[in-house]
Amino acid sequence: MAPTWEQVVRDHSARVYRLAYRLSGNQQDAEDLTQETFVRVFRSLADFSPGTFEGWLHRITTNLFLDMVRRRQRIRFDALPEDTERLPGAAPSPEQVYADTHLDPQVQAALDALSPEFRVAVVLCDIEGLTYEEISATLGIKLGTVRSRIHRGRVQLREALAHLAPGRPPLTEAGATS
Amino acid sequence: MSIPESHLAQEAIAALVDGELSGGAAGRAARHLGGCAQCRMAVAAQREAKAALQQDEDVAVPGDLLSRLKAIPFTADVPGGGGLGGLSAGAEGLTLDGAGGAWAIPLAPARPQRPTDTGSRWLRRGMTGALAGIGLGVAVLAVTLPAADVPTDDGPAGGAVAGAVRSTDSAERTDIVPPVARTLTVGSTTPLPNGGTP
Repeated sequence: MAPTWEQVVRDHSARVYRLAYRLSGNQQDAEDLTQETFVRVFRSLADFSPGTFEGWLHRITTNLFLDMVRRRQRIRFDALPEDTERLPGAAPSPEQVYADTHLDPQVQAALDALSPEFRVAVVLCDIEGLTYEEISATLGIKLGTVRSRIHRGRVQLREALAHLAPGRPPLTEAGATS
Repeated sequence: MSIPESHLAQEAIAALVDGELSGGAAGRAARHLGGCAQCRMAVAAQREAKAALQQDEDVAVPGDLLSRLKAIPFTADVPGGGGLGGLSAGAEGLTLDGAGGAWAIPLAPARPQRPTDTGSRWLRRGMTGALAGIGLGVAVLAVTLPAADVPTDDGPAGGAVAGAVRSTDSAERTDIVPPVARTLTVGSTTPLPNGGTP
């Protein structure tokens, strides 16, 4: 039996919203990304291509996120000649972040500090639980690229966490060597 | 053993942590880790970062976002072409006809799908589904009209129209290559007998 649109929304919105929040790091962008993802789903239900529905949702959400990031980078390009690293600041309060997302605010902030390509790979792997092969298909990148983005993303994540929470002992002399 | 062992590649370290190394490679990596504190630390660092993300829980979707998502069928523009099927699915809140056939599949991935030429197949399928829907509508009209208003005169005419529409529909079905005709029966056998037999 075919599900109603409401069922589709009910069954999949939490997953899409969480992914959008982990990637964008704020509620406004997460809501916009989720809304746009479902608009795309609604428009193209008829030409859905093989694979699981979840995989399709991951692909739409992550591609919309990367599009959004690239669009903003282009806009900022004139203002900021150097590609300065994004610092977690001016964000909602940690309590608010935790209440909204149930993720340690420091972890979310560390995630926000990653470059978007690394962040996407790490989030799909460690939060969404996708295999390397699924990530490769979702992002349209090679398996080797998936591996190295996950590795480097995690190294950066740990450094950002150590920076945000000096209590955590850093142990990455080995991980940082190239 | 004269060659000094190099360290594990970074990619291998990530893959090891995620259980993505093949058996042989995983065994070699494990042997190397036994004697290399530096690589063990790198593995521990990867595990730690992964663990930090895995404390993740479900997120509550804001209520107003949820209602906006549910309203998409009434608010989103559907670009031309697939508009008919998509809109009818949304406006009813239920799937039916072409649209129903088209998106019952994605949510039940157990149903067999052919990997080749799927794009055009879906399109054709949607179009034929829509045609079947129109045929159904005309057939219903043909059945209900004479009974309600005109006694016998328009009966044959209405029947002829319905018949014509139905025949183009079946012609469309037989024209298409065999695999399509086979998948079509899944979507259109249900609506057709209802409208077609009386």
